[in-house]
Amino acid sequence: MEARASRRHLDAYDLEAILGVTQKLAAPFDLSTMLTEVVAAAKQVLDAERGSVWLYDADVDELVMEVATGIAPVRMPSGTGLAGACARSRAIINVPDCYADPRFDARVDRATGYRTRCMLTLPLVDHNGVLVGVMQVLNKRDGAFDADDEALAAALAAQCAVALQRVRMTGALIEGEKMRQALEMAREVQMSTLPSAMPTLAGYDIGTAFRPAELTGGDTYDVSRVDGDVVLVLGDATGHGIAPALSVTQMQAMLRLAFAMGADLATAFIHVNNRLADTLADDRFITAFVGILDPVEHRVRFHSGGQGPILHYVAARDTFVRHGPTSFPLGAMPLAALPAPTELALAPGDLLLVLSDGFYEQTDAEETCFGEERVCAIVRDLRTATSATLIDALLRGIDAFAAGAGQQDDMTAVVVRRETPVEARFARTFDAIPALVAFAEDAFARLRIDPSLRTAVDLALEELFTNMVKYGRGSRADIAIAMAAIDGGVEVALVDRDVEPFDPTGRPPVDVEAPIESREPGGLGVHLIRRMADSVEYEYNTVSRESRITLRYTRRGSAAAVAAVGDGSPDVHD
Amino acid sequence: MFTIDRDAQGAVVASGRLDAAVAPKAQAFLDGVDGTVTVDLAALDYISSAGLGVLLKTQKRLMGGGGRLRLVGLSPHLRDIFVYSGFDRLFEIAPAR
Repeated sequence: MEARASRRHLDAYDLEAILGVTQKLAAPFDLSTMLTEVVAAAKQVLDAERGSVWLYDADVDELVMEVATGIAPVRMPSGTGLAGACARSRAIINVPDCYADPRFDARVDRATGYRTRCMLTLPLVDHNGVLVGVMQVLNKRDGAFDADDEALAAALAAQCAVALQRVRMTGALIEGEKMRQALEMAREVQMSTLPSAMPTLAGYDIGTAFRPAELTGGDTYDVSRVDGDVVLVLGDATGHGIAPALSVTQMQAMLRLAFAMGADLATAFIHVNNRLADTLADDRFITAFVGILDPVEHRVRFHSGGQGPILHYVAARDTFVRHGPTSFPLGAMPLAALPAPTELALAPGDLLLVLSDGFYEQTDAEETCFGEERVCAIVRDLRTATSATLIDALLRGIDAFAAGAGQQDDMTAVVVRRETPVEARFARTFDAIPALVAFAEDAFARLRIDPSLRTAVDLALEELFTNMVKYGRGSRADIAIAMAAIDGGVEVALVDRDVEPFDPTGRPPVDVEAPIESREPGGLGVHLIRRMADSVEYEYNTVSRESRITLRYTRRGSAAAVAAVGDGSPDVHD
Repeated sequence: MFTIDRDAQGAVVASGRLDAAVAPKAQAFLDGVDGTVTVDLAALDYISSAGLGVLLKTQKRLMGGGGRLRLVGLSPHLRDIFVYSGFDRLFEIAPAR
């Protein structure tokens, strides 16, 4: 505060009024309360009849006066009138006789019926030199404002400026905070509908990722089992912010409901599209992939509403087949019918890659897009890795590419990998038995097969392998064994080449109730296999002289076998 | 890994995997026992028909001399195999020693 030696009467009362305003710097007032406080303090300190504050709106270079709640504020260009002149010069203007000053605008007086005699106009400039507004104090009760009043008013104005600026900034912060909270809530809704776990699907490895951009993007995905099939969804709503996050969530929920109620692919797509076309704003739409995986026939049928590219890595040819959209983005327009869905067959080792735009369109510092080629290169390098490893590598590849350029959009991935059976060949000797055990252990881990089936599978491998060694002495070929995951269990195949037929399913049953004298170890192995397996199939190819035995084991099957023994019922598998 | 030996109480203790690869070793060991013998299978993880054959042959031999094998400590997996093969009828099977 500037103290002047010439000040005649800065009494305790005035000081208290100024300090009061200073104290209110920290008070959690809203803007209009703070304005009232500031004007009241000015009137008191300067012994004036009236006061008003114009706030400076830097965005449009205007001065704004809040008149009363509910009434539009008065605005004027910052150069107009005494207030405007003060805003420009940032200096106090003391006008002892307003009607004698050409800068005075008498329209306010005419409108209010109040007569302004003298007026002190003060710039409100905060500590950082930012113009907050202009304060006008009208009609000193006994005469005109003098130099002492000017000094006092300058001190007061500095405090008022800081107080007002703080309130304005707090207001902006609160608005920002409200927006942030709303975004966060939308994000929470969006995240909460994402599946928390992938359905386990024998022979398939399905991986997903959702990496949100800082501001809410409009991505979603879903992987859910509907009867025997798996519904795969990836959606990307246009724009950023709360609306896309919520509309894409709505789409995902509607699709889930439609499929749960038994809708087929086209029906679900059309109905959800039409509902979205009704409810979404005209400039909004959602690009989406909606697919159905049949894990028994190993086929995927899908519609892509403007979502692309859909990449199918074909392992046998080591190439990518690129699929375009089958329809318009969801919600863009009502649909009466759809063309046939795209259909593809997934062979062992094949991959289906559904990635949102956020992957392909991420740019580096030079505005180059990450693009399809880079995606394909990473996928090809990791074509035998798990889907989780693959997605992780894609995200790391994008990070390295962006090199700190910042994530521009949500990145969402649904990757389906059809697993390759675990296979090995074994020399025709009993010495290979430990290698068989090691193979089974590795296959169970890699295919994530229920460990409780291990004993039964080990037994079948050993019994059939030893039979093949014993009875196939004429052959010099290795014995091939393959394991693949099936729903709830495992399928095991043994292939013996260049041999005479040996059909274990055709062996006479062992009489387990025979007295010990007539029991022999022969045939017991095959008997145990038939008791413990869900199914045993035998094929013989007379041209290649090849025996193929295929066995299936599931948890359900082994439970049934145990129960059958408990019941004392006859052998259910024979 | 398969091991078979006698413990301090004179019981035969077998552990690990009794498969076709190690069945001759088990047979050789059991060819050396006489009378009524307790066989502790608590640590045996796995048995195939080759292992069952070893036990059957030994049981027949011992019964000829008035003895027998007494099996103890079978895991549920092993017990299933004994039941499926009817071997639960050929041996005395006790839960523990």
